[in-house]
Amino acid sequence: MSQLDILLVLLRVAVGAFVPLCFIAVLVWLERRGAAFFQDRAGPNRANIFGFRAAGLVQNAADGIKLIFKEDVIPGHSAHKFYFVLAPLIVFFCALVSFAVVPFADTLVLEGKQYIMQGIPMDLGILWFLAITGFAVYGIILAGWSSHNKYGVLGALRASAQVISYEIPMGLALVSLLVVYGTINLNEIVHFQGKLLFGFIPMWGVVLQPLAAVIFIVSAFAETNRTPFDLAEGESELVAGFHVEYSAMKFALFFMGEYVAMFVSSSIIITLFFGGYQIPWLSTETLVAYAKPVSMLLMGLVPVAAALFCGWMMKNNKSHYDRPNDPRVREAKVYRIIIWMMVVVVEAVLVGYLLYAAGGAADRILVVLLQIVTFLVKTFMMCFVYVWVRWTLPRFRYDQLQLLGWKMLLPLALLNIFITSAVVVALS
Amino acid sequence: MAEMIKLFVNGVEVEVESGKNLIDALKVVGIEIPHFCYHPALGADGNCRMCLVGIEDGRPPLVPACKTPVAPGMKVQLDTGKIKKIQQDMMEFQLINHPIDCPVCDQAGECTLQDYYMTYDAQDSRMTVPVVSKGKKMDFGCGVVHDQERCVLCARCVRFTRLITKTGELGIVNRSDEARVTTFPGRPLNNRYALNVVDLCPVGAMTSQDFRFKQRAWFLTRDKGICHGCSKGCNIFIDHNREKYKDDIIYRFRPRLNEQVNGYFICDEGRLSYHAENEGRLLAARVDGKDCSVDHAVQAARKALGPKILMLVSPECSIEEMIAIKALADAVGTKLSGYSDGYIKAGDGDGWLIQDDKSANRAGLAKLGIDATKETFNGALNSSDAVISFNNDLFIHDTGSEFRQKLEKMKVIAVSTHNNTLTQNAAIAIPVASYSESSGSVINKDGILQHFGRAVQKNTPLADMTQIAGMLGSPIVTESDIASEMKKVLPSLTEVIPEGGLKLTESEAAHVPA
Amino acid sequence: MSVTVKIMERKGSSFLEKIYLFEIFKGMRVTLGHLWRNLCDNSRLYVRHYPEVKPEITPRWRGRHRLTTHEDGTVKCVACFMCQTNCPAKCIMIEAGERMDGKSEKVPVRFDIDLLECIYCGYCVEACPMDAIRMDTGIFSVTSYDRESVFVGIDELLATKGAFDEEEYKKGGA
Repeated sequence: MSQLDILLVLLRVAVGAFVPLCFIAVLVWLERRGAAFFQDRAGPNRANIFGFRAAGLVQNAADGIKLIFKEDVIPGHSAHKFYFVLAPLIVFFCALVSFAVVPFADTLVLEGKQYIMQGIPMDLGILWFLAITGFAVYGIILAGWSSHNKYGVLGALRASAQVISYEIPMGLALVSLLVVYGTINLNEIVHFQGKLLFGFIPMWGVVLQPLAAVIFIVSAFAETNRTPFDLAEGESELVAGFHVEYSAMKFALFFMGEYVAMFVSSSIIITLFFGGYQIPWLSTETLVAYAKPVSMLLMGLVPVAAALFCGWMMKNNKSHYDRPNDPRVREAKVYRIIIWMMVVVVEAVLVGYLLYAAGGAADRILVVLLQIVTFLVKTFMMCFVYVWVRWTLPRFRYDQLQLLGWKMLLPLALLNIFITSAVVVALS
Repeated sequence: MAEMIKLFVNGVEVEVESGKNLIDALKVVGIEIPHFCYHPALGADGNCRMCLVGIEDGRPPLVPACKTPVAPGMKVQLDTGKIKKIQQDMMEFQLINHPIDCPVCDQAGECTLQDYYMTYDAQDSRMTVPVVSKGKKMDFGCGVVHDQERCVLCARCVRFTRLITKTGELGIVNRSDEARVTTFPGRPLNNRYALNVVDLCPVGAMTSQDFRFKQRAWFLTRDKGICHGCSKGCNIFIDHNREKYKDDIIYRFRPRLNEQVNGYFICDEGRLSYHAENEGRLLAARVDGKDCSVDHAVQAARKALGPKILMLVSPECSIEEMIAIKALADAVGTKLSGYSDGYIKAGDGDGWLIQDDKSANRAGLAKLGIDATKETFNGALNSSDAVISFNNDLFIHDTGSEFRQKLEKMKVIAVSTHNNTLTQNAAIAIPVASYSESSGSVINKDGILQHFGRAVQKNTPLADMTQIAGMLGSPIVTESDIASEMKKVLPSLTEVIPEGGLKLTESEAAHVPA
Repeated sequence: MSVTVKIMERKGSSFLEKIYLFEIFKGMRVTLGHLWRNLCDNSRLYVRHYPEVKPEITPRWRGRHRLTTHEDGTVKCVACFMCQTNCPAKCIMIEAGERMDGKSEKVPVRFDIDLLECIYCGYCVEACPMDAIRMDTGIFSVTSYDRESVFVGIDELLATKGAFDEEEYKKGGA
């Protein structure tokens, strides 16, 4: 293996492992500030380091430190302490590993070698995701059972019944999708979506299979135990459900596992239905071919975006009450300087690229970077939808949940398979 | 049983005892006629006019109920508009000069004036002239505080001093709205029953210096009890209360009606004897001067038990306790003495409620055949090397000093309710529940057996004497054992002791030393 | 008297509503509207920046208690125990004594309120015949690091002044 090989392996593993972890912080922040703004509140805006609050992100650090230093209780009445400790690990690990097959950029060709841009380069694709996420529920069941707590057991039972009910429509929705794509390899699926329908519509999964998209997204919500399907931890009836006995970092693992699962299922939804890392109308080949104009466009767009953002920030990042020498205004000024310095760096890099490195490998690297950014932006928006739904909808009643799964989603998914198969057979 | 006669009240036929006045007779059947001045013990005075009732077809048609004996076929009107108007007007008269200082008045909550205002008056004052001001907070002596403004001039207190105590310290001077109850100059209340005027007073004019501002009446829990101040065994109410974060303590004793024993009254000494239940108590067990747990002290005492120990039982103990202690003495095989001449204060009694003998149950000692003579006690003391005293304070009135030196040389085990001379020198001191904290039965000097229940519930209750005796090895511990033993000793006791006490038969009462 | 019957329209029976998805989107539009409005201008949030911006207390607000005094500074309370009697939380503990200033006969020598037990129902204020106890201090936050300092005695209750003038307080419905 060459040095380049090793570097790229490290890079892919790093992206595959650290991006979900970083997203935990972003998502917790998004959830809390988002919830607050949906409800006309302010959200966490006090925690700071030397007056820097980073829009509330510092609160995450504070919470993390708190969770680390809290007392880690293992209930004395629990007879299965090993499983009690194991359960959060399973949940977190499964959530993290299932991201390994999601391609976050197109295959990078360097010095004639192909580098598949996903955590673990393998062809299992969507099957890996189905297998691993299905396994995560074992963590929840173990947690509830080993807690030796009636709320825990009830939560775990709900979770298991729910996952069984919703994996079926999820799998069936995928079947019709795979009939269309003709492959289970996620990178090929994304490639497929780079094409154009009738010459002007991006051939995204959501366009080809709208019904499957709805079923899959609904099922994905249920799989991640998010509102309106968070009955496993329904605090109004089960206190906290399966994690009622957990504290400190073991609780934090469940908590982080939930957000990683949310990130991963967002990325899967993006990959299957919203074109993955593809920039609409700009396939990888096109981008590589027009690398120079694209970079020039970027040079123009980056300062404009920075200016808009700074304007918004200066307007909103201030105290809404009398405060001498408002520290929040000072804070915003510092941020503005940092943003413009970053803009300068980006511009310098782009200028350097245009002057010295245009054409060849640098083009492809630029495209990969662009695609990674696209992928992350799309995933972030999907995560936002998760948050958005959570703070809009109330929780289902449990019988309604099962009714929806078995009597609505399952027949619809089957119907969808029939229609899709018929159309595909007719067209071929 | 008196003859029963029939009469009509508000048109409804009722059957009452003959020979009584309307107030008393109708009270038995649950009909209340309002009155201030009438009191069964003091007779009818007829000055308050509150008890005016109508007699249909009678001459005169309007009579004071307290002065009117019941007659067959009498048609009494209580609910006609006229009678109600009279009652309301009488209340308005009473309240013309009343200061209405219920917030600071100790009587509030058990005040006849308050109750009648709510029942019969319930209107705002129509008076526009300022109220007549009279003497307040007057010290009448004997711990009685008088407020002339609150007085309704029912003269119960005056009649009490004239008819009951025959001392006549009080009188009503002046006329109309200047009339007031007062003492003669330089001659305050001076009798041993003076505080009864506080109970007699229907309003807050007479209050007790001892109880003044201690508690509001409605906070108090009223439990029935028997006064242990002397061998009369007067019936009392034990008014106690547990304040937040504090212990249950007694705030006052009040007399409880028992015609057979004490009537309506108790003596001042007995009334104030509740202080001894709250203060000076032995609370912690001691062995050789060091505080320890009760269990430890009892174990130490049990080891010391033997034929050479003299058991000394108190005439304050209830029959039940005496039975348990006697059984213990028999089990250990030692002598038991009830010697307690220290409890007798010769010449203190007055022939009515106050007795020479200040112990509650000396008759019980005799009933159980426990020897109480000085000679046998002296003999037993000489042949013993230790003494265990069950709440017997030999030196309570300091007449047993001839034994003091002897006892100082001996090992003394004191099971006691109070800190006293014996417990100070005792090798082992064991605290025990007092009579307000336990239940039992006592026989008074007239041979009347009376039962009292447990009133006060301390935060950390002390064991009672029968429990201690049981821990020391008495074979009679359970309630049923004690009850069957009691029936053996007292043949006239068939089932439970009745409310008013059981007068023991002559043959039984014959043993009772005078 | 006739009973008026109002028949409520039952929602959720039409086909579009039964599909549920469109109704969800409608709801999401509403919430997104809120988010967008707050994102564009966060000065319009319906929040009070609490520790810095104090809430406005009206005279009717039942805050921490205080004992009032006569004009000459003597305590109005006559230790009638009405507040203690009426207190459903049993948080008032009074000890009465003889009063020597001629205003009355009785005065509280001890007047303790356990603010941790108090439920701020205001019954003590209503029960008081002397207008001696009031809850008009405007103190709405009773917090402490220890239990002893929120067990307030007569001195502290007397020392605290009302937050409103007499006219305002009376207008508040007291």
